[in-house]
Amino acid sequence: MTEPLLKVRGLGKHFASAGQTVNVLSGLELTLAAGGSLALMGRSGSGKSTLLNILCGLEQPDAGFVSVAGEHLAADSSASGPNQQRWARLRRQRIGVVFQEANLMPALSLLDNVRLRARLAGHSDQHCGDWLKRLGIGELAQRYPDQVSGGQRQRAALAMVFAMRPSLILADEPTGSLDARTALEVADELFYQQAASGCALILATHDSTLAARCGQRLDLAQMGA
Amino acid sequence: MLLFPASQFSNLFSALFSHYRRHPLQLLALALMIMLATMLWTGVNHLTTQARASLGQSEQAVAARSQLERVDGQALTVADFVTLRRAGLCVMPWLEVESPGQGGRLVGVDPLAAGCFEQTGLDAVNESLEPSKKPEPAWTPMLNGEPFIDISEAAALAQNVASRNVSLSLLIVPPEPASALPADYRMTGFSLGPDTGELGDSFLLNLDALGFLVLLITALLLRSVYQLGMAQRRDSFALLQRFGVMPSAINRVLLVEILLLALLSVVPGVWLGRLLAGTVSGGFGQALDSLFDTPLYAGQSQSWLTPTATMMAIVLVVCLAQNVRALLLRTVAVWPLASLAKLLTGADAGTEFRQKPWPWLALLLAVAGLAMALLAQSLPLVFFAVALVFAATGIAAPFAIAALSATLARKTREPLARWRHTELGVMARRLALPLVALQFALAMVLAVQALVTVFEATFDEWLGQRLAADYFIEVPAGANADAAAQWLAAQPELAQSGDWHQVASGVAQLPATANDPTTANPKMDRKAQSVDLLAVGPVSPLLTMWSLQAANDQPWQGFAAGEGVMVNEQLARRYPLAVGDTLALTLANTRFELPVLAIYADYGRPAGEVLINLELLPDEFVPAFESFSISPGASDIALISDGLQRLWQVDSVRVRDNKRIRELADAVFDQTFLLTRAMTFVTLVLAAIALLIMGWVFFSIRAWYFRLLQVWGLTKRQVLAQLGQLALTLTLSITLLALPLGVWLTWVLVHRINPLAFGWSLPMAIYPGFWLQLGVVSVLIGLSITLLMRSQLGGSGPKPVSAASLRGDER
Repeated sequence: MTEPLLKVRGLGKHFASAGQTVNVLSGLELTLAAGGSLALMGRSGSGKSTLLNILCGLEQPDAGFVSVAGEHLAADSSASGPNQQRWARLRRQRIGVVFQEANLMPALSLLDNVRLRARLAGHSDQHCGDWLKRLGIGELAQRYPDQVSGGQRQRAALAMVFAMRPSLILADEPTGSLDARTALEVADELFYQQAASGCALILATHDSTLAARCGQRLDLAQMGA
Repeated sequence: MLLFPASQFSNLFSALFSHYRRHPLQLLALALMIMLATMLWTGVNHLTTQARASLGQSEQAVAARSQLERVDGQALTVADFVTLRRAGLCVMPWLEVESPGQGGRLVGVDPLAAGCFEQTGLDAVNESLEPSKKPEPAWTPMLNGEPFIDISEAAALAQNVASRNVSLSLLIVPPEPASALPADYRMTGFSLGPDTGELGDSFLLNLDALGFLVLLITALLLRSVYQLGMAQRRDSFALLQRFGVMPSAINRVLLVEILLLALLSVVPGVWLGRLLAGTVSGGFGQALDSLFDTPLYAGQSQSWLTPTATMMAIVLVVCLAQNVRALLLRTVAVWPLASLAKLLTGADAGTEFRQKPWPWLALLLAVAGLAMALLAQSLPLVFFAVALVFAATGIAAPFAIAALSATLARKTREPLARWRHTELGVMARRLALPLVALQFALAMVLAVQALVTVFEATFDEWLGQRLAADYFIEVPAGANADAAAQWLAAQPELAQSGDWHQVASGVAQLPATANDPTTANPKMDRKAQSVDLLAVGPVSPLLTMWSLQAANDQPWQGFAAGEGVMVNEQLARRYPLAVGDTLALTLANTRFELPVLAIYADYGRPAGEVLINLELLPDEFVPAFESFSISPGASDIALISDGLQRLWQVDSVRVRDNKRIRELADAVFDQTFLLTRAMTFVTLVLAAIALLIMGWVFFSIRAWYFRLLQVWGLTKRQVLAQLGQLALTLTLSITLLALPLGVWLTWVLVHRINPLAFGWSLPMAIYPGFWLQLGVVSVLIGLSITLLMRSQLGGSGPKPVSAASLRGDER
């Protein structure tokens, strides 16, 4: 049997707020195979972003453990040292993250942003222009982020992620700041390229239509997290 | 002023001020900047005003007056005053005493005795009289402690002050006939030193310039901190406008806000400045006294109103420059005036920064400033040239860093390096004001340090020359100096192991000459003038160690043989003279024509001076002063002074210990530049802290992008390294750009300002070791920014910034 790409067991995370402990995640179990897709649903503050941060090793869980492509992150893992370096390498080479906005370095052109991401992943930057073309913004390659629309910026963010040839994409409401039509176009590109490249996708969203396009669905609010 | 109800104003004020409740450190930084700028400028201004008034007072009070001395060289006492008044002479005591507590000197005068000094004739009559026969100018001292007080008060103060801080003189209206003066006294001019006006003014001008530079730097820092706050509040302004608040109403509230802040910060700043001036006035007064023979008199203070109003105006202009600019643009709406106004009033460090006129404006200002600095023949023009060059570099520096980083980014293939270069360009533009302030401060510190070090070295050489002998023995009035010279020459121990020479000083007349083709400067007209004469002999090693700026093959041998004279640098420059020129001079009706054998360094002595062999002096020449410079070697100075005392048949011989004087002089000189060094140091610290604060705030705004690098797979340590590289590149770049500016400023101070102000020039020296120190300072600033940012990176997971932050001026 093939080992799943992502495995989460007994995951817990709490924050201290106004002198009280708020359990954001509690006893979370999750498995995702390579090439699969999962929609993360839930109200604002239900822990979607926190879970994504833990899944890419940017935050430490308080309980349980996470395993991505054979790399383990447990509650008692060191916040620095070799473990963090392994997770940094995972983010660099195998985990692509797309946020709602501000995914690009403002001082670099769209093409340079894609190049930077590809080079950090250890790939050649030769085909970066092609990724921009595939996402329909090839002619904007030399523009800067502030010179293009929000939708075009999100397409460039997707180009960056796919240029690094990831095994897993973590998308945190990637269409949340776009109008309905643009959001649909960006989502179409995301699902199309994800399917074409065969990587797994975890999509945090409030949009149930978008969530319905994913193979799995996890509602954090219903889990009582 | 308010066109809306008070409650609405209050609400609006509260809403806008909430920014500072959220960012109290920013408010504190603003208040501190205003307070420190006020303190530094008020301190310097207070001192220079006090010193300038002292110069004016002393010149007015003692102009063309005479004083009395005892022929036997003893100090004057009250008994002398009584004797002279009983003889019917118009004399007035002048008792100078150190002012307790507040620094400066007070002058005790007797208002009743001063009565006879008052002008008795009419101006019309005065005009018809010979200058020497004109009555004394009118003078009625105001006994208000600024600096005059009643002599009884001064006498009381003198009892609690060390005797070296008290001096009594007797001023006199020259009696008619001159023989009315009792035989025990002689009359001399009462002057506080030669050419004090010019020298003192130059010294104060340098201090004024320094004060202005400090003001400029602090104004830049103030503007940068204020601008940062404004940038952060732009969203709030936009929101309020959407709620229907007029922009003019927001501007009015901002005006009230900055007025209140300025008032609350300027007043304590002025108080601190006066405190600072009071603290350093002791050392400053001593410096003024020792360098220019001009005491710093007490009480020449200005009111609180001037510094308060000046600083309030500066704060308002600096902080509300955008509003001033808008007003100016509205006023001069006609092109090209509008374009010019737009260019001159500045713009945000955003898109307008990249407009093309800036480099051209910088180039134009730089060329004009450099040319003017090179060619100008007056001090104000040179200072204006310095201002132009500073303005040019201020405009060019951030632009140069941004342009260089853009070029590097274009050339590099490595995306991370390209990102770093472009980010550096953004930083250079966004932090332009604090960067420029740091550049100015670094350049100023570098120039002042170089100048002070050269000054100290020169002063040391001067002391070495003038105090070469261990002891200095004054020849008492009426004593036979030649007999003493013969006696000294006959002392075997002194001849074997010691050195000595005799000095007689007086005045020589130099005639006017025109277009003398035999001179090194045939086209120069020479003006007739009196110069100081220094006759020395025999030529001892104490003389031959003097530093000569130009000389023939064997100058001292020729001098010893009486074959020529030596002149000081000042006379050589002004008369003018070169080695080999023939100098015609008249000594007591005897005319000499002697070649110039050498030009010796005078280390800033403003008067022209001729050095001649003592043996050439005509018999009828009466020296004004005679002395012996003696290094006793194996013999004892006490035995020598006893021998001279017996020879001259006087009660005591005045022996001056030159080593002790040298120690005192060194101490006084250290104090002279304490103020300068302290000011430059404080300014540098201020600039460094401002850049630190601004850098930290700037990085905080962009922290998201550094976290993005973490998301993309860099470890925190790697991100921190990128950040450190950026901060260090920025601070080191600005330090590198400050170096040529600092060296140029040193050159201007040494080769342009000093010769124009003082008439002489110091050697120019640069100190690469000090450059390294400044480099270390800039590295420390860069590392501090990095360390501060470490906490930002150590926060919780990355959070996207709002869409509004993706404006064009972020790149």
